[in-house]
Amino acid sequence: MSALRRRAERAKTGRSQAIRRGRGETALPYAMVAPLLVFIGALALYPTVLTAYGAFVHNDALDPPNHFTGFGNFQSVFSNSQVRQSFENTGLYVVFGVLLSVGLGIFFGLLLQRRFRGRGIVLALMVLPWALPGVVEGVIWSWIYDPTFGVLNSTLKSAHVISTYQLWVGTHQIESIFFISLVQVWQITPLAAILVLASLQAIPSELYEAANVDGATTWQQIKRITLPLIRPGLAIAVVEGLVMSLNIFDQVYVLNAGATTASSLMSETYQIAFGNLNFGQGYALSLLATVTTIALSLLAVKLIYRRVEF
Amino acid sequence: MKRSRYGWLRVVGIGVLLLWSLFPVYWALNTSLMTNAQAQSSPPSFFPTHFVFSNYEAIFGFGPSSASTAGGIGRALLNSSVESLGATVLTLVLATIGAYAFARLRFRFQGFLFYVVIATLTLPVYATLIPIYTILTKLGLVNTYLGIILVYTSGFLPLAMWIMYNMFQALPASIEEAASIDGATTLQIFRRIVLPIVRPGMAAAAIITFLFGWGQFIFPLVLGSTNSTEPLTVALSALSGRHVVPYTMINAAAIVAIAVPAVIVFFLNRYIVDGIVAGSVK
Repeated sequence: MSALRRRAERAKTGRSQAIRRGRGETALPYAMVAPLLVFIGALALYPTVLTAYGAFVHNDALDPPNHFTGFGNFQSVFSNSQVRQSFENTGLYVVFGVLLSVGLGIFFGLLLQRRFRGRGIVLALMVLPWALPGVVEGVIWSWIYDPTFGVLNSTLKSAHVISTYQLWVGTHQIESIFFISLVQVWQITPLAAILVLASLQAIPSELYEAANVDGATTWQQIKRITLPLIRPGLAIAVVEGLVMSLNIFDQVYVLNAGATTASSLMSETYQIAFGNLNFGQGYALSLLATVTTIALSLLAVKLIYRRVEF
Repeated sequence: MKRSRYGWLRVVGIGVLLLWSLFPVYWALNTSLMTNAQAQSSPPSFFPTHFVFSNYEAIFGFGPSSASTAGGIGRALLNSSVESLGATVLTLVLATIGAYAFARLRFRFQGFLFYVVIATLTLPVYATLIPIYTILTKLGLVNTYLGIILVYTSGFLPLAMWIMYNMFQALPASIEEAASIDGATTLQIFRRIVLPIVRPGMAAAAIITFLFGWGQFIFPLVLGSTNSTEPLTVALSALSGRHVVPYTMINAAAIVAIAVPAVIVFFLNRYIVDGIVAGSVK
């Protein structure tokens, strides 16, 4: 865990001077960054340009040829009720995903703030869900959610919370989205917790000591010292949660299995582009989603991020 | 002391944290070691009583019940390994070299180029998915290891570069300045002095890249959904989509996909936390 503190200290030392170069080394920096730039140019920037362009071209494998269509693709996707449903669903995924992952992340971060025996092991075990593939998580949770043999049903029934076994995913929109979202929250909470923890450990302990001397309660300390000072970490956790939930696909693909009840923007885009082979409409949805993702991330950073000086 | 008053709360909290983090994985492991009849018993058994390994034998193509699943998990395990490792090596080499130039050398358009690389960090999957499919189809790279490795690399490079950039920035420049005064060339400084120091940072970037590669789903789903290239994620989703496959076997396949990241998390956790922090805070 000392690694976190070391990083926090390093960050304060600021940027260092550039190394002076000898003669004949002027080409070297370009040679060093060129392979990186070629990759990013060819397989990230160029495709993005193609997406932006393709959104305005009619491109349907079942209805050739391709031609410029202006906002035609956007009109088609907006008039599609399944697409509109996926917008609404994705909004719910974002709300559940961000609130739950950040809330749990703060809770876990606070739990791990003070040193105790075995903290390193607890931290390692907490990170596990973050490291697992989303698809695998969807698969193991779908067995937990199973309507006939699932452990969630049997546990809740024996605890008398429910009277009959429930179909958690597949019937009701909000319920389905909540339970699919929960699987993603399971995956991304460790990230939020680590970001919160890193900010927590950068808070000087003198602040708490002073508060103790002044007789502040634990809750007052959390509210007045901890939460305001972890804003930078929280900002990143919110953005990560936002981007992940706007892009939710793996868990939906496994648990929702093509139904529209809980379809996400990404699963709908996948269906339109690779199921219906309508690349034009797929591009239009992709462009909308890309712009929304970037805009919301910037907005979240602007709202939450405030530079903290000690 | 106030702390002792809240001590029991912390213990309960840690208990909740551990249950939440581990139970789903434990449940999959538990199910994978049962017969189908046991897994469907009510109430469910929370411990495997007989330790049945037939599910694992079946998904790898051995034993009597393998026919129903075609035993494709072995190949998928190989595919996942080749693709994730290939992408990790390529990403790490390119990101480390590029990040050093951005962090320590000075050249024209440096700020602009750096900004371009960092800006691609914000690009969601949507932005590139369909075009990458069409580009790789044109190049004949769909359903090849090379195609998938190239795509993974392009996706992971910005984050790995950012992690390595922060690691280089955190080094005190004095060592490099001293070496420079002693007449060492930039490349000598990079290879002999800087690289050995940032090895932990490289480990962090490599581990995070590998885990990302291991978890990839939508790109390989689109780019390589035949047995020859499909990774564990795609194979597992296909397995769970076929309703004839018993859940005990599906969970065994899930445990195979979980095992590799779980071992990495358990033994190399320090680097992961370090890498996540280096990749995001600043």
